[in-house]
Amino acid sequence: MGLAKGSPRTGFYICHCGTNIADTVDVDAVRRHAEELPGVVVSCDYKYMCSDPGQELIIQDIKEHRLERVVVAACSPLLHEATFRGAVERGGLNPFLFHMVNIREQDAWVHEDRAQATRKARDLIRAAIRRVAYHRPLERMRVGVNPNTLIIGGGIAGINAALNLSMAGKRVYLVEREPTIGGHMAKYDKTFPTLDCAACILTPKMSAVRDSRNIVLWTYSEVEKIDGYIGNFRVQVRRKPRYVDEETCVGCMQCVDACIYKDARFPSEFELGLKKRKPVYMPFPQAVPPVVAIDPKTCLHFKTGKCKEPCKEACARDSIRFDQREVVEEIEVGQIIVATGFQTFDPARLPQYGYGEFPNVYTSLEIERLVNASGPTGGQVLLRNGQVPQSVGILHCVGSRDENTNRWCSTVCCMTALKLAHLVKEHTGATVYSFYIDMRCTGKGYEEFYDRMMREGVQFVRGRVGEVRDWEMAPEEEGKLVLRVEDTLAGFVRRIPVDLVILAVGMEPRADAEAVQRMLHISRSNDGFFLERHPKLAPVETTTDGVYLAGCCQGPKDIPSAVAQGSAAAAHVLAMISKGHIELEPNTVAVLDDCSGCKTCIPLCPYHALTLNEESKKAQVNLALCKGCGTCAAACPSGSITQNLFEDEQIDAEIEETLAHV
Amino acid sequence: MEIIPQRMRYDSQRDPRFAQDLMGSSRCKTLTQCIQCGTCSGLCPLSAYMDLTPRRVINLARAGFKNDALSCNTIWLCASCYACAVECPKKVSITDIMYSLKRLAIREGLYPKGSPIPVLAREFSRMVRSRGRATESRLVLNLYLKTNLLKLLGMWRMGLKLITRGRFSFRAERIERVNELRTVLATATAEAGEGPVP
Repeated sequence: MGLAKGSPRTGFYICHCGTNIADTVDVDAVRRHAEELPGVVVSCDYKYMCSDPGQELIIQDIKEHRLERVVVAACSPLLHEATFRGAVERGGLNPFLFHMVNIREQDAWVHEDRAQATRKARDLIRAAIRRVAYHRPLERMRVGVNPNTLIIGGGIAGINAALNLSMAGKRVYLVEREPTIGGHMAKYDKTFPTLDCAACILTPKMSAVRDSRNIVLWTYSEVEKIDGYIGNFRVQVRRKPRYVDEETCVGCMQCVDACIYKDARFPSEFELGLKKRKPVYMPFPQAVPPVVAIDPKTCLHFKTGKCKEPCKEACARDSIRFDQREVVEEIEVGQIIVATGFQTFDPARLPQYGYGEFPNVYTSLEIERLVNASGPTGGQVLLRNGQVPQSVGILHCVGSRDENTNRWCSTVCCMTALKLAHLVKEHTGATVYSFYIDMRCTGKGYEEFYDRMMREGVQFVRGRVGEVRDWEMAPEEEGKLVLRVEDTLAGFVRRIPVDLVILAVGMEPRADAEAVQRMLHISRSNDGFFLERHPKLAPVETTTDGVYLAGCCQGPKDIPSAVAQGSAAAAHVLAMISKGHIELEPNTVAVLDDCSGCKTCIPLCPYHALTLNEESKKAQVNLALCKGCGTCAAACPSGSITQNLFEDEQIDAEIEETLAHV
Repeated sequence: MEIIPQRMRYDSQRDPRFAQDLMGSSRCKTLTQCIQCGTCSGLCPLSAYMDLTPRRVINLARAGFKNDALSCNTIWLCASCYACAVECPKKVSITDIMYSLKRLAIREGLYPKGSPIPVLAREFSRMVRSRGRATESRLVLNLYLKTNLLKLLGMWRMGLKLITRGRFSFRAERIERVNELRTVLATATAEAGEGPVP
């Protein structure tokens, strides 16, 4: 034990963390214990080491006492290791001649016995002070940042992020799964609370994407594989064949008119099946790119091979390409913005509401299409029999705030329901009932919109509808759908007959969120939405460096919030591009000369950082790829791989000292 | 002039420990999770006849208005169909809470006097505890003896038919080793955190 040349001059600092640590650990006793240890020239406690005065202590002591090593006992290194390394560096010492001991999460917070918790803190800090003597100065490695960005998802969040980046002159690859960008917003009729026409405010942005020279727009495409790390990702994008040449098609629709099917007879995906389309179709009039697509599942050419192909003849630009094949594009980007959006709750999961059973029960998204002038009914809200409804019931919280389906509040459905109440009233003059549990109108101008709906005479009933049935028990219920509900403010149960039921469905993670999560190595929260790095202070970043979140893939939100998050993600990307490089942590591995070239380590590395040098017949490390996981160092049969900050003598010293007084 | 009864409640009319006591029973733990949405009342096939909707009972119990919660007809009309508990968005075990309230109402003597339902409940429970099985003929007799003897006499014709067709035996049914059943019941109520059966 002990160092050959005597212990280096060490400064020890212990944090009270207010009362978080000091309540359970006798901070003063630990400080006095450290004072006695070999090499310790400063031992000091402070209320908040992470504060500016706390950091200043370290900086001053390094200069004054010519410290060679620093140990801080405080919270988790996850929170403040970077803070203290920064302080050590500002004091003029190499930041890796520092070690942090976690006596909060791993001691004070998990123990109750003060004497034992204090003893544990003493053992831990003794081990750290011994270990830090073996630390060596290390340098961070710099690697460049590829200035191109991948954005996955062309909804409003992805569009906005793409436009922000393109405005700054940066190249963006915008990948969208559907044949057009626009996402959910393109399906909405009006937006709350201003009642702006959704298409009127969205389509200029969509056109701007198409016109931007910096944006490479790949619709009908999916990201298939992502390798690499921040600054240097390699991405494979699978571009599905749309059997139309995107370069030459101008969306004149001649082919659609000429299609062998005289009538549209296949359900339109964009119109949620409420309208029919032909096998060759444009999703909606303002689609971007304004290019048709051919659906091979319904097109006669693909189904039977016996079509006269009038579409091909009708096209003046020879854009129909039945021989188009799937293409896999390979690109390199520095950063990735995930904006994959949400899906609406499927109310068939709640049989008591009769969706799918009664034809006049619709989802809120379907009603958006019905009130839209370019929608299936040309903007008329009609029952399935073509009549205009006299009374309409709108149910809030369908698939939200429900332990049986989705637990969370989807945040936008109250406002969507209020907006639809207004639109349905305006289009039909019907009596509109709104059934709510709590009215959540928390955005700018939202409460005022609620006020307006009350003035417009919407009948608000505070109560969650028990069931939607068609049994009549009174003359006025004949031929109607009856909502059985407790009017909780009145305190009795009511039966309310209506012609049309609208289910304000909640938002949930997309069905393939897990696959996207795995591809990007990011996390998801309990609700299944992608997890941000910190719920308050890093709501846009993920736990994977260089991957950011925008829009509803991170959690339910309204359009302004999705737009703001898109811009925030773009700002993060631009900051990194401006910096031009990233610094990699030096906790990487090194292969020693006595490597026998047994290749044990090579397949074990999860980051493909190890290869065999054909000349020397020894393993070699790509330091830019090494994440410092230590797998290879542990597996090497000859002990020929070492890892910075985890060298044998450092770990041995730490273990020995931890157990020395047991 | 007739005095108008005061509807306002003073805090002294509340039993602040009531909710806590109720939640001492393992099947009432979800009481505090109710968001008062009224799904239970909307679904309840008997809510049309209740003086307080199930939602209001939950709220009164939670707030500690013990007398209101125990003296309503709601808990006695509950037919244990569990529709409310199945659809409750917060998984409140409403039916189970109704059972606990019934027990307390009997223990506190707060059940609606003259209503046969609490009497039936008590007689049924007593009979099962003493013999391990309910004898329907005796149960019905006990029920009418304790509530409405005249009604029983009015049903002599049906009674006669049942007896002659062997559907109505006065022989008390019982199980073997009824002590073991009592032990089971006592252990179960103790583990659920509930007091002895009234």
